[in-house]
Amino acid sequence: MSFGLTDAAALRAVHLTSVAGPGNSPDWLEEAVIALFDEFRDPLLRYLSSLGIEFPECEDVIQETFFALFQHLRGGKSHHNVRGWLFRVAHNLALKRRHRRRRDSDVPAEARAENSAIDPGPSPEDQAANRQMQQQLLAVVRALPGQDRQCLFLRAEGLAYREIAGILNMSLGAVSLSLARSLARVGRRAKQCEP
Amino acid sequence: MKREDRHLSDQDLLLDVDGELSTRDEKRVRAHLKACWKCRARREELETTISDFVRFHEGQFEAKLPPPDGPRALLKAQMAQLAGMEPNRSSSRLALLQNLRWALTAGVCGLVAVGLFLSNVGRRTSPAQVAIVSIPDARLTPGAALLVDRRQLCTQPNIKNKAVPFALQRRVLDEYGISRAEPRAYEIDYLITPALGGADDIHNLWPQSYSATAWNADVKDALEDRLREMVCNGNLDLTEAQQEIAGNWIAAYKKYFHTDRPLPEAR
Repeated sequence: MSFGLTDAAALRAVHLTSVAGPGNSPDWLEEAVIALFDEFRDPLLRYLSSLGIEFPECEDVIQETFFALFQHLRGGKSHHNVRGWLFRVAHNLALKRRHRRRRDSDVPAEARAENSAIDPGPSPEDQAANRQMQQQLLAVVRALPGQDRQCLFLRAEGLAYREIAGILNMSLGAVSLSLARSLARVGRRAKQCEP
Repeated sequence: MKREDRHLSDQDLLLDVDGELSTRDEKRVRAHLKACWKCRARREELETTISDFVRFHEGQFEAKLPPPDGPRALLKAQMAQLAGMEPNRSSSRLALLQNLRWALTAGVCGLVAVGLFLSNVGRRTSPAQVAIVSIPDARLTPGAALLVDRRQLCTQPNIKNKAVPFALQRRVLDEYGISRAEPRAYEIDYLITPALGGADDIHNLWPQSYSATAWNADVKDALEDRLREMVCNGNLDLTEAQQEIAGNWIAAYKKYFHTDRPLPEAR
C-alpha cells in the first residue's frame, strides 16, 4: 500500500493510457476493467469495510461499481481519474445501502456502526506489544467523526487530497484540516502507548 | 511578529509531508523548517504517526481479505453477458430452482397484472432509454414465496427493502430486456416483500422505475406494511396477502386503503 503521492500520480497516468487505448473494443475494454478490478478491488474492500460494511456486502458494492464503470466506459464517457471515479461511486453506493439498512433496522445506527466497524479480532499471530497498540489505535479511529475517519482511510489507500475532496464532497482545505486533526489524535494515543 | 517567524501549523506540515503544497508555500515551509528545530521535530512526529497508522491499517486487513477469484469471475460473466457473448443462462436458472426452498405461490400466475408501459420495453433498449415500469410483468415476475406460516413470519422483525445481490439484479434487468439501461434508473424490488414471506428468487423480483411518480416504491412500502399488520393481527390470511400483492399491487393498495390514488403520506 502506498501512502505517498508520487505513486498515485503514476497510477493515474497508467490508467489514462490503458483505458484510452486504441479501438476501445468491448473485448479490450473488458480486459481493461478486469485489470482495474485486480488493482483496486482490495483497496476498495478495505475502504468500504472501514465504513462499517461487512465483506459480502462490500463485494456486492464493488461488483456494482465495476459494472457501472464498464457501462460508463462503453458509453464513451470520461475516463479521467478512474481511481477517483471508482472510490466515489463505491462510496455513494455503500452509503446508500448503509442508509437503507439503518432505516430498516431496529438497532440504533450508531451502535450498529460501532459493532460492524473493522474488527481485528483475536489473532494468535499478533505480537503482544503490537496488539495493545493496535487496540488503542482502533479505539481512537473508531472515536473519530465519520468524515474524518473516511478521509484518513482514503488517504491511507493512497488517494490525493483533491480526489478525497471529490469523493467526500469537501473542500481541499477541509480535507487537509481533517487529516491533520485525525493524525494529531492518533499521534497522541500512539505516544501514550509507548513504553 | 512576522508571518515567517510563526511556527508552522500541523496542516502545513502535513501538506508538506504529503507533497500537496503549492510551489510558493513549499518554499516558505522549507525555509521555515530549515531554521526551526521545533517544527522539524513536529514534522517528524507527524511522519511517525503516519507510519504507525499505515501499519495499523495494513494489520487490520492482513490475510483477512477474501480471495478475489470468485468476484473477478462474476464480473467477467456480467460484462460478457452485457456484451452479448453469454446467451445461455438456462442451466443456472434450473439449478437455482432446484436449490431454493420455496414454492411458487399457487394461483398467482393466473392473476392478470397490468403491464403499464411494458410494450415499450424491448430487447434493443438503448443505454439512454429508460422504460417506466410501475407494475411487473406477470409472466416474468409471478411472485414467489417461502414456505413459512404466519406465526413464524410475525415473530421475525419486519424486513423492509432487503438488499438484492447485484448479480441477481443484473439477471432481472436482462429478463426484462433492459440490460443495457442505466441500472440506477431502477430499484430491483421484491414483488412479494420478504416481510410477507417473499423469496429471494428471480420470479419474485422486478425493476421498479425510480421515475414512476404516483405509484412508486414508497406507496408499495405502505401497502406492504398494511398487509403485514393485517396478517400478524389475524385479519388477513398470509396466502391471500401474498396473492393480493403479487396479482396487482396497485389494485391491492386501492382495496386496502379505500382510495383511488396514493395517500399523501405514502408518496
